[in-house]
Amino acid sequence: MSAALPARIARAPKPLAQGLLTTATVFLLASVLTFGLGALSSANPGAAVLGDTATPADIARMNHQFGLDRPLPVQFLSWLGHALHGDLGRSWFTTVPVAQSVWQALPVDLSVAGLALLMAVLLGGAGGIAAALSNGGKVDRAVTAVCAVLGTLPAFVIAIGLIAVVSVQLGALPSGGYVPFGQDPVQWLRFSLLPAFALSLEAAAGIARQLRTSLVGALRENYVTGASMRGLSSRRVLFGHVLRNAAGPALTVLGMSVPMLIGGAVVTERIFNLPGIAQLALQAAQEHDVPVIQGTLLVTTSVVLIANLAVNAGLAALNPAARRGRRGAAASGDPVAISIPEGATA
Amino acid sequence: MRTLRNTLRVPVARGALAVLLLVALLAVFGGQLAPQDPLAQDTAHVLQGPSGAHLLGTDYLGRDVLSRLLSGTGLSVAGALEAVGAALVLGIVPGLASLWLGRVFEWTALRAVDALMALPFTLFAIAAVGVLGNGLHQAMLALGVLLAPLFFRVTRAAALGLRQVPYVEAAELMGASRSWVLRRHIWSKVLPTVAVTTAQALATSLLTVTSLTFLGLGVQPPAPTWGGMLASDLGFLAQQPWAPVLPGVLIMLTVGALHLLADALRDGGAADAVRPVRAAATAPVREEKADAAVAA
Repeated sequence: MSAALPARIARAPKPLAQGLLTTATVFLLASVLTFGLGALSSANPGAAVLGDTATPADIARMNHQFGLDRPLPVQFLSWLGHALHGDLGRSWFTTVPVAQSVWQALPVDLSVAGLALLMAVLLGGAGGIAAALSNGGKVDRAVTAVCAVLGTLPAFVIAIGLIAVVSVQLGALPSGGYVPFGQDPVQWLRFSLLPAFALSLEAAAGIARQLRTSLVGALRENYVTGASMRGLSSRRVLFGHVLRNAAGPALTVLGMSVPMLIGGAVVTERIFNLPGIAQLALQAAQEHDVPVIQGTLLVTTSVVLIANLAVNAGLAALNPAARRGRRGAAASGDPVAISIPEGATA
Repeated sequence: MRTLRNTLRVPVARGALAVLLLVALLAVFGGQLAPQDPLAQDTAHVLQGPSGAHLLGTDYLGRDVLSRLLSGTGLSVAGALEAVGAALVLGIVPGLASLWLGRVFEWTALRAVDALMALPFTLFAIAAVGVLGNGLHQAMLALGVLLAPLFFRVTRAAALGLRQVPYVEAAELMGASRSWVLRRHIWSKVLPTVAVTTAQALATSLLTVTSLTFLGLGVQPPAPTWGGMLASDLGFLAQQPWAPVLPGVLIMLTVGALHLLADALRDGGAADAVRPVRAAATAPVREEKADAAVAA
């Protein structure tokens, strides 16, 4: 098989190809799950759309229009085939194309989640580094305590607390609503700042904890002593050598927090009234609008899978040993404590 | 057992266990303990502070806050337990099976786990409610399916490390049956790790239950739940702080206790039980080492 391929492709880095293959398989399985969930539905959309006065024949005709009288495998293949071409079907009730609604909602999630990720990296990175440098000291204990408290707070408590303090007491930022970035970047920032901050806290706590653990380990390595003895400033040692080696697990945690930032942020979206994908799903769930539910799930899963690929690429770039197929010290040395992403509830 | 004894020596763990025991008692007997009907409205006495008749005051419909809090505990806790119970079964059995049932099953199970991990918890639970009908069971089973990969990976990682331990190989060579090896050598060592994960998963699932009930999903609104109370009484925070603040505090206490218990269990030896033998960590174990890290 490989002999038939041009040499350049045959020599393509294996991990990437493997990663893509795995991602494709996972996507297929996730789409089966998503479709299967819809197939389990006992909903009779024809009856629901046409109301009480419809005759059984009308209902059957309506269900035929939705394609619901075909065998399930046929329905699945046609649904997936259309989805891959960007057609997610139409809502049963509003007949608006699902892809159109998702397309309107997705930029909201992506921009707010992007901002949240940035905040999480900055906050978590600063917290983790500060804690590791003061290993056992006051700063370390303070960061650990804050992270522990953040893990126990439900997302809505954080969101409501922020609104109560920042929006109501200080009147600094709006408490809900949204303006697209393309329309007015400054207004976008004003509306996104609070939800992004609320979302970022859980991820930041995870990153800080993880980074602290691996940094404490990495700072004890011989090469750190060596670098200091060669006269490198402690800042250069930290940012040039140690961080690079210790960032792996933290990046993994970051990757695990992507699902909860995109689409997992149902409560946050609801409280801040963001017209995002979770709101779309919530509304669809209340109406039992199966095509919309399936569409939002599929798109969210795809975004998460793409983000995972990006994180893996980042891990490979950080760690030359991982590129060669072996895990470096940062990823596999001491078992590091990655806990469940607590914010999975958000 | 050793892990449990080590854990119980830590005061923090005993405190956490005490809190959880109290919550469990509230969950079981809360309905009977409630001094009044949690749904009875007393429109003449709305949003009142604590008094002799209503120990924690009344909410915006004149319902007794204490009674609602007590009878709401059961549903919230039962939901979390249901999800984690489903996850335990759906995760541990395939997790162990993936090591013994051949490579095809192993590959399929691993990919299925990857697929499940890519789905966001709350959104999937909402989708399940939307598709299967608005009930806590639907949402919690969906959540259980999504939590299962956690147990799958943790169990698998722990068992994989143990499989290469000389005494397990020796037992297999001496003709010990598969089930005997599993029961005698593997299970007792996997259990502490599973306990840590269970505590963490319970916390996660409790937060998801409260999120869902906060959104009005899973439980029809008049029935009291922690999340539902928070949602409905939040608008009256200034007039009657007890109604929304207490459920929030209970959630935080329970989740906090679960986290502390998980940490204590881990420190008590769960991490040692599964630490893979370093010499045995050849290339195929790569992924599992990362899993062991997750477990530890």
